[in-house]
Amino acid sequence: MADKSNDPAAIWQNMMGEMEKGFNAFANQAMASPEFSKLVNQVGGVSAGAQKQLGDLMEKYLVSMNLPSRAQMVSMAERLQSIEGQLNEVKAMLHQLQNTSGAPDRHSAAPRPPRTKRPPSADGEQK
Amino acid sequence: MNAPAGLDDLASVPERIQAEVQRAIQRSIKGVEYISSSGPSLGSTPKDILQVRGTMNLYHYRPIADEIYRVPILIVMATTNRGYILDMVPGQSFIEFLLKRGYDVYMLDWSAPKPEEKSLRMEDYVLDFIPDCVRRVQSDSGETDVTVIGYCFGGVLSLLYGSIFPDGPMKNLICFTTPIDFREMKLFQNFSDRRYFDVDRLIDSVGNVPPEMILSSFEMLRPASRAASQVQLWENIWNDEYVKSYRMFDRWATDTLPLAGEYFRAITKDLMWDNKLYCDTMSVGGRSADISRIKVPILHAVAEHDHIVPYDAAKPLIQKIGSADKEEVMLKGGHVSLVAGANAIKRLWPKLDSWLGERSI
Repeated sequence: MADKSNDPAAIWQNMMGEMEKGFNAFANQAMASPEFSKLVNQVGGVSAGAQKQLGDLMEKYLVSMNLPSRAQMVSMAERLQSIEGQLNEVKAMLHQLQNTSGAPDRHSAAPRPPRTKRPPSADGEQK
Repeated sequence: MNAPAGLDDLASVPERIQAEVQRAIQRSIKGVEYISSSGPSLGSTPKDILQVRGTMNLYHYRPIADEIYRVPILIVMATTNRGYILDMVPGQSFIEFLLKRGYDVYMLDWSAPKPEEKSLRMEDYVLDFIPDCVRRVQSDSGETDVTVIGYCFGGVLSLLYGSIFPDGPMKNLICFTTPIDFREMKLFQNFSDRRYFDVDRLIDSVGNVPPEMILSSFEMLRPASRAASQVQLWENIWNDEYVKSYRMFDRWATDTLPLAGEYFRAITKDLMWDNKLYCDTMSVGGRSADISRIKVPILHAVAEHDHIVPYDAAKPLIQKIGSADKEEVMLKGGHVSLVAGANAIKRLWPKLDSWLGERSI
């Protein structure tokens, strides 16, 4: 068997692994400081604020162009979702009716296996 | 005959050079293949969609055993990630394993909440989606009892559900890497330090928390690992099995879901800031969610090297839960390799089968 300590590929991989671990440990230590939290959240806050301002501007622009705004699209999506929900309810009711009438449906068309399985140890089989 | 070590090394040099040259050629060929092809098809175990309602999806996997256990399983996926981590490819699918071992499997999986779903609250997940799925599993299977398996934050949701409905129908509970003591998730704690992190401003600005933000907070836990994994991919790109595995896990890891705004606000305030689950003060929709009220058998699988949910964050689950029949199993590996991958196939899945089989009759 080749000696791994002389294998340049193995040395390289080992070095990469150690570098990764070392960098992660160092970064984790730095990220655990309150200063890091403050900085990250300041940057994140600015970015979220900018995103909100851009959104507001865009909304005004769309209104001036006589195009539907995001809020209007969201409202339409909500209405569609509510219709979808009602359709699902109708589907569920139909499914229930079908079950009570005894007619086969799509899911129960294939017979399901019996629920009689016992764990191997209970039957004296090997696990 | 034993050759001297030095000679042996010298004899292997031309072979090594040849192997390295071969690999370099293969890297170039496979590198082009990698860019021009898509990854393996994931989550392909046959299933029926029982219900889709907004972000909630309920699947039933078609049984493949001749007979199945009486008690069906409902898997509750983490809200940040897709359920196909448990159904990668044939031979590496937890779902397929369960089906082969004779379980009847359902999964509550999530799709990205739409902008108009930003108002979904913790109550919607715990008091509506999970109970709705449990009822549908009962109706579809014809059984009253249901085993619940929660992965990561799916485990937290399952615990909240179980503590609010301690009288059933949950018969068994299995949690994978489920955090309880959020103070011990030290880096997440620091990222969401209440002195600097204005969660209200964030949610009011963006609505749903974007997936890029979730992904970068996960990646920040090990900032060098993404770059290192790409170097490793290049080194191993000649190896089809390595590439297949890399693509599966990389696709899943980067396929992060956004989180509904109000739900994220509740997680931040109740769990990250006030640690209410650990302090037994958690409530959902005005209903107390004290996990000591859960009395069903529970198995908690934790990973020794979990960097997302460190062991100290998961450890109190077994101590605090009210069940008499409770077990924690710690396995080698990380947050994902615990449930998927070679380690899971060898260790976790057989353990889970032997634990659950006798409790599923």
